[in-house]
Amino acid sequence: MKERKFKLNIRDKEYEVEIKPEGKDLVKIRVAGEEFDFRKASRQKQNLPLAKASLPKKSFSEKKIIAPISGTVSEIFVAEGEQIEKDKKVILLSAMKMENEIVADFKGRVRKIRVEKEQNVKEGEVLITME
Amino acid sequence: MKIEKHKKVTSTNILAKEKKHEPWLVIWAEEQTAGHGRKKDFWFSPKGGLYFSIILPKSTLEDIQILTILASFVVAKVIKENFDLEPFIKLPNDVYINQKKVAGILTEAVVGSEVRFSIMGIGLNTNINSFPERLENTATSLKMELGKEVDNRTIINQIVGELKTQLKIISE
Repeated sequence: MKERKFKLNIRDKEYEVEIKPEGKDLVKIRVAGEEFDFRKASRQKQNLPLAKASLPKKSFSEKKIIAPISGTVSEIFVAEGEQIEKDKKVILLSAMKMENEIVADFKGRVRKIRVEKEQNVKEGEVLITME
Repeated sequence: MKIEKHKKVTSTNILAKEKKHEPWLVIWAEEQTAGHGRKKDFWFSPKGGLYFSIILPKSTLEDIQILTILASFVVAKVIKENFDLEPFIKLPNDVYINQKKVAGILTEAVVGSEVRFSIMGIGLNTNINSFPERLENTATSLKMELGKEVDNRTIINQIVGELKTQLKIISE
């Protein structure tokens, strides 16, 4: 096995992968700066936990935009299915006579809008799910 | 205190939201063509009144809410201490004199995973001679209550200065 370096694109995020054989039974794999060791299971009982050898879970999960504060949904600026850029204004949430523009922290597609105009929401409630 | 003064703007809040984050920068306009309160409610903003927005320092939404209440208190305090008037605070964001609205505050924030930017707009009816018929029974001005003009620059300096002082007091 030869040493290899390549880039992997998963859901718009680029991961740098480096595979480096170390001797006969050990292969070091570095993904996005984090290193994992893989050994031949038959000779080495010391397996790594599965979670440790997987890519960060967060990148694959559904993204959520949540209410930062309890209030009323005054405006919804996006539609389901819409592709939006990072920093896009998605919802206007009024709380204590204060207007809060909720913006997306990431780009993606709006999967589901979980609230309606004039709906009261609690802090932490999911407003929009994205993918 | 850094104040950026304009003759005529759409709204000082709109202008402030376009600025870079410069805490305590004050945007002041002599006149607004699209002055508004919550839900884009029109705020009568002819020449003579005092309209300004303050870019707030980085804080949490809870602190910004407290700051809005604090601003109502400060506006009422400045009115009470300068003139022989009895302002009434309608929490969290309006000030009344003799059951008529004299000032309103609209705080706006841009929020991602944390608060990115927040501003506070204050509209104070200072030297307004009269209001349109539909506002006649609900709005008043300092000039109408006092029968004389007031100095807008002195008032803006006092409000922003007092707001900073009060904020320092509650943070300690």
